[in-house]
Amino acid sequence: CSKFTRLQRSNDVQKKYAGALELYENKDYYKASLLLEEIIPVLRGTEQAEKAQLILAYCYYYQKDYTLSAFYFKRFYQTFGRSPKAEEAMYMHAYSLYKSSPAPNLDQTDTKKAISAFQSYLNAYPTSKRVDECNKLIKELRSKLEIKSYNLANEYYKQDLYEAAVIALSNFIDQYPDSDYREEAFYKRLESAYLFAKNSILSKQEQRYQEAIGYYQDFAERYPESKWLAKASNIYEKAVEGLRNAQQKMKELQKPQKQKEEDKAQPSF
Amino acid sequence: QNRSGEYVIAGINISGIKFLDSNALLNMAGLKVGDTLEIPSTRTATAIRKLWETGLFGDVEITATKFEGNKVYLNLYLQERPRVSRIQFEGVKKGDADKLQDKIKAIKGKIISDPLVKNALITVEKYYKDKGFYAVKVNATQPKDTLLSNSVILKLKVERGKKVKADEIIFEGNQAVSDKRLHRRMKIKEKRFPRIFTSSKFVPKKYKEDKERIIKLYGKEGYRDAQILEDCVYFVKPNRVNIYMKLHEGPQYHYRNITWKGNFVYSDEYLSQVLGIKKGDIYDREELDKRLNFSLTEQDISSLYMDNGYLFFRITPVETKVEGDSIDIEMRIYEGPQATINSIFINGNTRTSDHVILREIRTIPGRKFSRREIIRTNQALSQLGYFDPEKIQIEPVPHLETGTVDINYTVEEKPSDQLELSGGWGGGIGFVGTVGVVFNNFSLRKAGKLSNWRPVPAGDGQQLALRIQANGRAFQTYSLTFTEPWLGGKKPNAFSVNLSHSVQRNVFRNRVLGGLQVTSATMSLGRRLNFPDDYFVLSNALSFRQYTIDNYNAGLGYNNGVSRSITFSTTLARNSIDNPTFPRTGSNISLSVTMTPPFSLFDNIEGRANYDALSPQERFRWIEYHKWMLDASFFTPIVGKLVLNTRAHFGFLQTYSKEKEVGPFERFILGGSGLSGFNFLLGSDIIALRGYKDRSIVPFSTGVNAGTGGTVFSKYVMELRYPLSLNPAATIFVLSFVEAGNNWADFGRFNPFNVYRSAGIGARVLMPAFGMIGIDYAVGFDEVRGDPGANGGQFHFTIGQQIR
Repeated sequence: CSKFTRLQRSNDVQKKYAGALELYENKDYYKASLLLEEIIPVLRGTEQAEKAQLILAYCYYYQKDYTLSAFYFKRFYQTFGRSPKAEEAMYMHAYSLYKSSPAPNLDQTDTKKAISAFQSYLNAYPTSKRVDECNKLIKELRSKLEIKSYNLANEYYKQDLYEAAVIALSNFIDQYPDSDYREEAFYKRLESAYLFAKNSILSKQEQRYQEAIGYYQDFAERYPESKWLAKASNIYEKAVEGLRNAQQKMKELQKPQKQKEEDKAQPSF
Repeated sequence: QNRSGEYVIAGINISGIKFLDSNALLNMAGLKVGDTLEIPSTRTATAIRKLWETGLFGDVEITATKFEGNKVYLNLYLQERPRVSRIQFEGVKKGDADKLQDKIKAIKGKIISDPLVKNALITVEKYYKDKGFYAVKVNATQPKDTLLSNSVILKLKVERGKKVKADEIIFEGNQAVSDKRLHRRMKIKEKRFPRIFTSSKFVPKKYKEDKERIIKLYGKEGYRDAQILEDCVYFVKPNRVNIYMKLHEGPQYHYRNITWKGNFVYSDEYLSQVLGIKKGDIYDREELDKRLNFSLTEQDISSLYMDNGYLFFRITPVETKVEGDSIDIEMRIYEGPQATINSIFINGNTRTSDHVILREIRTIPGRKFSRREIIRTNQALSQLGYFDPEKIQIEPVPHLETGTVDINYTVEEKPSDQLELSGGWGGGIGFVGTVGVVFNNFSLRKAGKLSNWRPVPAGDGQQLALRIQANGRAFQTYSLTFTEPWLGGKKPNAFSVNLSHSVQRNVFRNRVLGGLQVTSATMSLGRRLNFPDDYFVLSNALSFRQYTIDNYNAGLGYNNGVSRSITFSTTLARNSIDNPTFPRTGSNISLSVTMTPPFSLFDNIEGRANYDALSPQERFRWIEYHKWMLDASFFTPIVGKLVLNTRAHFGFLQTYSKEKEVGPFERFILGGSGLSGFNFLLGSDIIALRGYKDRSIVPFSTGVNAGTGGTVFSKYVMELRYPLSLNPAATIFVLSFVEAGNNWADFGRFNPFNVYRSAGIGARVLMPAFGMIGIDYAVGFDEVRGDPGANGGQFHFTIGQQIR
């Protein structure tokens, strides 16, 4: 059998440790990680334990198994907080999470974890040479969350669920005040609010048109030079007209009622 | 003497250790010479905790040995103990050993102690007891590990013994419920001779559940106070135990007065009506909970509120008075405010895009919270097939201050691709092998990037299916289908494209004599309609097909040449059945028309006016027909689980011009199981008629093309179905039926009452991996003209769910 299987079967921890280091040097990360996983529990408390754990984390990192490498880097800096390698491990923990963060349309748990890991790193090592790098990565990760939130809100807009679109876009506007999509969100909120009012029953129209008009004013105030402004003004005019019509119709509906009441009030002779 | 204050650590001495490395330990403890240390502080406590957590020491102590000005000298006393370096098993099978290693591997590297050994023993014992080896014995020894200093090997010796079964189960104190019913309720059965399928294995976990089951049985009958006073399990033989249970039943309780408190939205009378419990009914706490909180079948009190925004609704039934065997209950209700949905969050989708999930979610911002919509969303997400249905989590997060609720949906992805590998005899050409693969969560958008092909780009909820069927050179068919269920992303408009290519060859002594190829491309778009109701679906399809005939007699009147067809088809269908696998109620009606362009109108231009003088190849250069199909299927529950399925099917095929006869293509063939086999050439519609041989019912030959099938058919079926298992893993039902149908050469001869009749019985098994498989035995009553042996008793096998 091969040298590796002999190593795996051996019960000599030191031999295995030396073998793992050699495999790691030769970039055979998979086999190295197999050996290290086995001996790390037994190495606990010995001189070699520290190096073994750090190398194991790197083994997973180079195998692109970022979930596991994040886990082992974290375990390293938690166990060996005073090690000179602790800073590196803490950064690599965050960086592994950054690497495992997927596209914005998928689960963003790792993105959020990565952001807070970078922040903890910055708090622990505020003078580190990696500060700029960290800030850049945090920004990139945050923009993923922002895109996700905007896409979800936009999905309601696409599906013509106007009420939901207004709510989701408003939430987005509140949550991401410096987003690149903010202007578009303002415009889409106005359009959704107008369409929502237009497709409502008469008794609700007045209030909803007024809401839409309010959204126009917010939009025009904040983005007076927007490329959507012409379209927005158009919607605004239609909303004003819709509001007037709705008020008119409501009055007409109430009139006969009033008249009837008046008729009743006047005793007939 | 008070020594509190700030010090600098001037020295650390480590005592007590023999084998471990002091520097490594100090790193772990987080203490270092030169550090400032406040006394007292939590840092020393943390250090002790960290060292203790390594599990390496029997004792950890930190003491200050000397103070010198602001300097302090520390001593760490660490008592080292032997550690477990390996775990070995004796008397254990390889498979079990691997599983057990996995269960107790956490103790590797820890110091050996009595509780540690005891825990290992309990884990191993439990493992065997859960498998039915109740008499298992485990011993532990701890020899020194000669390869590693200060270490021991934990050796576990297992005597598994035989599986232990229940010999007798003895009850005492039961009067209201018979021994027999108690036995029936228990999962553990007495070991008796004819009992083969039920288990009498004694497993502690199962025994515990059985005891709960007995109490539940009493509860259902109103014996609220019932309990098991004592019970014991004793060996009567090395592999047999007796179970003894002493029961206390208590009185049977009934409801007396039920009163409501705290309800403002609904009146007492209305709530009582929904609850459906009357004075004098048997007091069944479980049933009461069901009617108050959650019932799958009927409306419950909670759903009244929870489907209408009352997210905070709580109801507590309080027994206000117990007199003799009568109980008064007061329903204390907290209605709370109505909550409006604000935000929807999606988590756990590591493969599937947000928008694919969001479009299935029925809780929409701005609407009132509704438990029903949450349940329906759960079903919709399960049905996608992308997520583990057991692990879909839906968590409403209420915000009382704004009167809103956010809803978190958490899913867990599971593999959704299917592989089909099958082989079988069929179609009169011998063995046919099938290889198919279906990617149910495909993404065309991501297909452009090579790195997404691992193995295929996924996550956009599209479907890509590839299928190859072949029998050497004689028969091959390839097909590729792509489906986008939400074209445009606005509404569920299913769009699909299919490409297929089939080859059939005459092979004689390894030489190809001639053959036929059919290549087709189809595009279709289906839309759910909102009018007249939302069960309606309208679908349109456009397809092109080319037949290449090379020295092959297909009954067309020419053996070399090319025919083509372009068809447009529209189907209007209404499907309101309640369950696709075993429908109980609802109906499925569909009307479809398929037509080719009316080429005959251009005949004059092409100089084809004299139709009769044209050669067959000229006639069939462009195939021409229009075809109408009507299918109606109704499901009616009869009694209990018995369901009646009534079906009627009609089909009609015609040309555009009166003078021309209908071509050989797309004609109807009746008889047998209705499996289409491999006659794809003429695109014949093969329709089942059980009790008659496969494809035996074709109009008695008149005219050139009549032998290839009829142009008008009708068929009627009445089928009684009874489900044996409705388990989603394997739905099984039996059926009996009467049916009748016939097939005519032209519309002039059509007589819907002149039909071939038959009756029979059958069974269907539906497993998700295989689809539906069926067997029927049917007897045909009427002799078929021109084919005297075609009727009579016979078996029919079917694969897949057949419409007609």
